[in-house]
Amino acid sequence: MSMSDRLDPAALKKRVKALEAQAKEAQSTIDELKSRESLKTQFLSNISHDLRTPLAAIITHAEILRDGMLGELNTKQRESVRGIVNGGQQLLDMIDEILTYVRSEGDQIKLARTEFSITEVVDQVRMLNQPLAAKKQLTIERLNGDDLPPVYADRDKLRHVLGNLIGNAIKFTSDGGRIWIGLSRRGRNGEELLVEVGDSGQGIAREHHELVFREFAQVDASPSRPHHGTGLGLAIARKLVELHDGTIWVDSELGKGSRFFFTVPLDAPRG
Amino acid sequence: MPARILIVEDSTLVTDAFSILFSETGYDVDVAATVAEAIERGTANTADIMLLDLSLPDGNGLEVLEALRERGVPPRATLAMTGHDDAKTRRICLEAGCAEVLLKPLPIGDLLRHIQRHLA
Repeated sequence: MSMSDRLDPAALKKRVKALEAQAKEAQSTIDELKSRESLKTQFLSNISHDLRTPLAAIITHAEILRDGMLGELNTKQRESVRGIVNGGQQLLDMIDEILTYVRSEGDQIKLARTEFSITEVVDQVRMLNQPLAAKKQLTIERLNGDDLPPVYADRDKLRHVLGNLIGNAIKFTSDGGRIWIGLSRRGRNGEELLVEVGDSGQGIAREHHELVFREFAQVDASPSRPHHGTGLGLAIARKLVELHDGTIWVDSELGKGSRFFFTVPLDAPRG
Repeated sequence: MPARILIVEDSTLVTDAFSILFSETGYDVDVAATVAEAIERGTANTADIMLLDLSLPDGNGLEVLEALRERGVPPRATLAMTGHDDAKTRRICLEAGCAEVLLKPLPIGDLLRHIQRHLA
């Protein structure tokens, strides 16, 4: 661009016009993307909601049969109907996970913080997962934490995060393995709680450490993969931890187990 | 006389399943798919238990409870059935006079226990 060009008012005006047009175009692209994003969220929300109703009917009918209300079933029939109930229940859990994700994306999740004992919640989630772990002869133990002060957080949300991490540990650890939960204080004045959920399972390659927290992402996304799910569990867990101003990360190597960590504030803010 | 359950729900898939469940467990069953129909049924035969879906084609399920109250024929207990487990929905239902807010679908064993408890 020559000196005369730069000073030529007509050329300047033309350039300003061009820039304005570009800005307008960029804005309209942004608007378009935003509206597509909200359409996607709405779609996910609607379809999840609409899937629940017929699924509820299927599960109810199957339970009626399973419980022998329409006549006793023989062993094989009962086993088959149980499969319908369990499969339906699994599908329902996945739909609920999508709904939770959609709500967390739409910033519809608000925290209800209270003071409570973290060891109590950890033990509840352990108990809840015990039957599933027992099927694979896995042990779930809490290593420590009895001396910790109460945490100031949303109890249900933390239970959800712990449930997700322990559920994953069960899923990806082969029979006879070990799962543990470690609790400790962190930060300059020990103002944060650090929770570790570790397992002796198959581990995650370093290049996948970020990926596992991304929505709809699965390390093995092939149709023949052994573990199915929505790919939303850890994305939701991250969202819930971040709502608490905490962080979540994983330390793992392929074949050497995984250790998931997250932090939450321990005390209610003073004053 | 067996206790009467009024199922207010617009999905026939769900009401069919519930009708079998409750008639097999010895209850009298009534079904309504809209607010208007539920008010009419609930007025003609006072229900012991009303299972109430919140989103109905012609309005909010809670309108049914309000109308039956105004007419002096409220069910002994109204159990709201909702797909959303959020604190706000729960509070609105309880304030409107529901005895309980249940997240659907719940296992039939749990549902039957809730109903028996409110009939006791």
